[in-house]
Amino acid sequence: MRLALRYWTTIAINAAGQRKREEIAPAKAFFLASFPEFTIHSEVSDALVQRQLLHWFKRGTQRDEKGRFLAQLCLKCFISSQIERVCQQLAVQFGTEHSFTCGDLLPFVLDDDSRRYAQAATNQSPAPYQSFSDEILQSFDPEQSSLATWTTRRVRHHRELNDFLLEQGVYLVSDWAILNDTTPKQLDRIFSQFHQLTTVEIQQAKQLLENYHAVYRAQRLKQRQAGIKGKCLPPTREQLNQINQRLSSLTPQMLSEVTLLTKLQEIASRLRQYRIHVRGGALPKDETDPMTLAERIPYPNSDTTNDQTEFLRVYRQHFLTSLDQAIAQVTSDRVTKLQCKDPQKAQGFIIALQLFHCQERSMSDIAKQLNLKAQFHVSRLLKLKAFRADIQRELLVYLRDRIFEQAKTYIQPERLQTFHQQIEDALNEQVTHVIEEAATEASTATVEKHRSQSSLFSRRLCRHLDTRSNP
Amino acid sequence: MTHYSNLTTQMELDFEALAVESIELSLEAIDQAAELATQIPNEQRQWQTYLNALALFSFEQWLAERSPEMRVNKEECSLFQPAMANSIEAVFNLKVHGFKLCLIATGSLMDEEVTLPRAVIDLPEFVPHFYVLIDVREEQEMAVIRGFLPYNQLLEKRARVNVTADEDWTYQFPLTWFDGSLDRLLLNLRCLEPSAIPLPAVPDDRLTQLSRMRSQLEALLPQLQSPERQLWQVLSWEQGAVVLTNPELLNWLYQLQTQDEAQPDISLTPYLSDLLQLLTQKAVNVRRWLWNELDELAQEFSWQLLPSFAGANAMRSLTQEVRSPAEEFEGIVRELQHNNVEISTEARGAYRNLQLGETPLRLYALTWLLLSESVPEWTLLLIVGTPSQTSLPVGLKLRLSDQTGVLVEQELDTDENHPYFFTSVVGTQDEKFIATVSLGSGIEQTLPPFSFTLER
Repeated sequence: MRLALRYWTTIAINAAGQRKREEIAPAKAFFLASFPEFTIHSEVSDALVQRQLLHWFKRGTQRDEKGRFLAQLCLKCFISSQIERVCQQLAVQFGTEHSFTCGDLLPFVLDDDSRRYAQAATNQSPAPYQSFSDEILQSFDPEQSSLATWTTRRVRHHRELNDFLLEQGVYLVSDWAILNDTTPKQLDRIFSQFHQLTTVEIQQAKQLLENYHAVYRAQRLKQRQAGIKGKCLPPTREQLNQINQRLSSLTPQMLSEVTLLTKLQEIASRLRQYRIHVRGGALPKDETDPMTLAERIPYPNSDTTNDQTEFLRVYRQHFLTSLDQAIAQVTSDRVTKLQCKDPQKAQGFIIALQLFHCQERSMSDIAKQLNLKAQFHVSRLLKLKAFRADIQRELLVYLRDRIFEQAKTYIQPERLQTFHQQIEDALNEQVTHVIEEAATEASTATVEKHRSQSSLFSRRLCRHLDTRSNP
Repeated sequence: MTHYSNLTTQMELDFEALAVESIELSLEAIDQAAELATQIPNEQRQWQTYLNALALFSFEQWLAERSPEMRVNKEECSLFQPAMANSIEAVFNLKVHGFKLCLIATGSLMDEEVTLPRAVIDLPEFVPHFYVLIDVREEQEMAVIRGFLPYNQLLEKRARVNVTADEDWTYQFPLTWFDGSLDRLLLNLRCLEPSAIPLPAVPDDRLTQLSRMRSQLEALLPQLQSPERQLWQVLSWEQGAVVLTNPELLNWLYQLQTQDEAQPDISLTPYLSDLLQLLTQKAVNVRRWLWNELDELAQEFSWQLLPSFAGANAMRSLTQEVRSPAEEFEGIVRELQHNNVEISTEARGAYRNLQLGETPLRLYALTWLLLSESVPEWTLLLIVGTPSQTSLPVGLKLRLSDQTGVLVEQELDTDENHPYFFTSVVGTQDEKFIATVSLGSGIEQTLPPFSFTLER
C-alpha cells in the first residue's frame, strides 16, 4: 500500500541539475476521478491501481486518447518516485563510506524533463524522446512483477549508474556472473530447500543452466584468453540460439530467444534472492583491532600468569627494539610492493600514513589531499587493520627469535595463541608504563589504555616515518 | 508499509561494497588461469579450474603483500598437473612455510555451504594443514580471502555433526565452520610448527589394493572415455581412492579423456592392461643377468640364462641341423650386428619358450648398461623367434610399454619370411618395461615386467 499522491507527483531533475518535486494537476484530477474510492492522503492498492492504469494506457482507443496519456502520466509519476527511493536507499547504505549522495545518482536515472509531463498532458502528442522511465513502463509486464519491483530491477542494472557506483567502490554482481558460478548441484539444493520448487521445475532449471554453461562460460573463457576485459554481458542472440540448439535435442519445443533469456534471468533472480539471504550472515570474524585483543581475553589459569610475569621480565628489554624493527620492515615491504605496481601509490601510502597517524587527519581529508575520489580509496590504500596485524605478527617473530629457548615451547596452537596474547599484554603493559611516567590524568582504565596504546604505536611509527623521509 | 520495508532489505543487500582487503587480479593472472582451464577436458570442470587458478594467484598476491617473508611453493601443486586437476576440484599440495594448504575457490553465488572434494579430506596424500576459502569474483577481476579451517578442527567438527560424503565424492560443510580472522591464519603460518597439526599417515597398502582390484579397474576405467563422465559415476570410493592416489592411472585417464575424438588412440585400452600389470606385478630384474644370476621370478617363468657371447666360438659348425638356443641366439645377434644394430659386448641374454595358441615361440631378451649418458640407462632388446627356426606366423605383434605409455607396437610384415623379429628400448634405472606378444583375435600373452635395479 502506498500513498496515492505518488501517482501524480513527479520527481525530476531541472535544468540546474536540481531534484524537483512537482505535482501534475491533470494527473491528480484524472486519478481522483478514476478512483473515487481514494482521497488525496489515503493509501492505495498498487496492484489494483496499476493494472487498471496499465489497461487504459495499453488499450487506449482513439476515442479516449486523453485517458491513455493521463494513465501513462500517473504510471510515470509512480516510476519516478520509485527510482528516487532506490537511489536514496543506495545513498543511505553506501553514501557516507563511499562519498556520494542521492543527488549524485539521480541524474543517471531521472532523465525525464519535468516540463514534458505538463506538455504531454496538454498537447497529447507522443514525445519522440524515450526516457528511462518510458523504457521501464514499456518493458513492464504485470504478470511477472509489480511496477515497484520492476523499476527497482531496472535501476539496479542501469549501466551508467553502475559505472558510477563502481568508481566509488560499490558494485552489483551481474546475473550472468551468478549463473556462471553456480553448479547444477547448488541450484538443485537452493531451489528445493530455499525456494521449495517442484522436481520438474528444478529439473528444467538445471537443464537450462547446464546448457547455458556449455555455451556462455566456454565463450567467456575464450574471451578472457583473448584479453577481453569487463563485466559479463547478457547472452547475445547467437549465444541464445546455440543454447536453444542444445536444448532442442533434449526437449521437443523450441523456446523463443526472449523466453529463454527471461527464463535464465528468472533463475538468476532466484539465486540472487538466496544470495541476499546468505549475505545477511557474514563469517564469524574477530573484528577487534588486534592491538586491543589482550584487553578482552582473561587469562585461563594462574600458570599462565606466572608465565606472563616471567615473560614480561624477559621481553620488556626487547620490546621497543622489536616493535621498531617490525614497523620498519612491514612499512618498507608495503612500499616496495606498491612501488612495483605504481610509484605514485607508494608515495601516497607514506603520505597517507603520516597524515593519519602523525597529524591525526581524517580519512576524507586525506582523500582530498591525495586527489582520491572517495575516502574508501584511502582505506584501500592504507589497509590499516592488516597493517597493524602484520606489524604485530612480525613483532612476535622478532621477539621469538630473540628468546629462542622460550619459543620452543610454543609449538601447540593453543600455546601460540596464549603467547600471542601475552605479547599483546606486554604491549599494553609497556604502553601503560610509558603513560604513567608521563603522569597523564587518571581515566577509566580501558579507554585510557586504548588511547594511549595506539599512541605508542603511532609514536614509534611516526618516528620511523620521520627517519624514512630524513635518512 | 510492509512492502516498502521488504524492498528496503532487498536493496540494502543486493549491492556490495568493494572490500578494503580485496585483491585485484592482473590481466596476466586471468590469462594464465584461462589457459590452465582449457587443459581440462570436462567443460563444467574447466570453469572451476579457472576459478581455482584465480584463487591461487590471488592467494599468492595476498601473501606477498601481507607477509613477504613467506613464499608459496607451487612445485607439487595440483593445479599445474592437469591429470590431477582433471580429477580433483581443488588447489592442493601447495606449501607455505612448511605447511600444506588446500585452496577452495567459491564464486559469485555466495553459498551457505562450502563444497570440498572428498579426496582432500579422506585421502592422506592430499590432506593439508589448512583449508583456505577464497571468494573469487571473476567478473570484477578480484578476489577476497574469506576464511580458513585447520585440518584437525575440520575432523572435530565433522565428527560432532556426523557429516558424510555425498555420492559425488564431495562434502558440503557450513560456511560458518571457517574462521574469518585471516590475521590468525598468517600468525599460524608464520609462527606455528607444522607438527602442531598432525596429518594422517599415507597408507602403505595402496599397491596391494590396486592389485586386488586390477581386473575390475581394467574393465571400468575405459568407461570414463567421455570427459563428461565422472569418476564417481563409474567407480566405488575404494576404487576411487586407489585411482586418485596413483599418478600413472590419473595420467592414463587424462590421456583417455583428452584424445582427439576424430582420431582416438586405439592403443590406450590395451595399454591400461600393461600399466596395471606394471604397477602391481613383480618384475624380473635383468640386471642380475649381468652378474650371471637369475632371480626367483625369472626362474619361475622359465627364463634360461645364455652364456656371455663376447668372443663366442666362431668355429661352430654351420651345417648342424638343430642348433642349441645359445647358438641360435648368437646367430641372430651376429646378424643384427651385421645390420648395424649396436649391441654392447657386456650384454647378457636369456630366453624362454612360450606357447601362443597353437604356435610355439621363443623369446630372447638381451640387456646391457649404457654409461655414456649423464644418467645411467639400460637397454632391453627383445627378439621373437621360433624354437624350430621356421618362419614366424603372419600377424604376430610385439608390444612394449612403460609407465608413460606404449613405446613400441610392431607387427610382422606379411610379405616377407622372417625367422625372427626384434625391438629394443632404453630406460633409466627406475623404469620398467612390459612386453606382450600377440597373434590377433585375442590370442596374446603378457610377460612379467622387466626391471633393472641394484637390489638382489
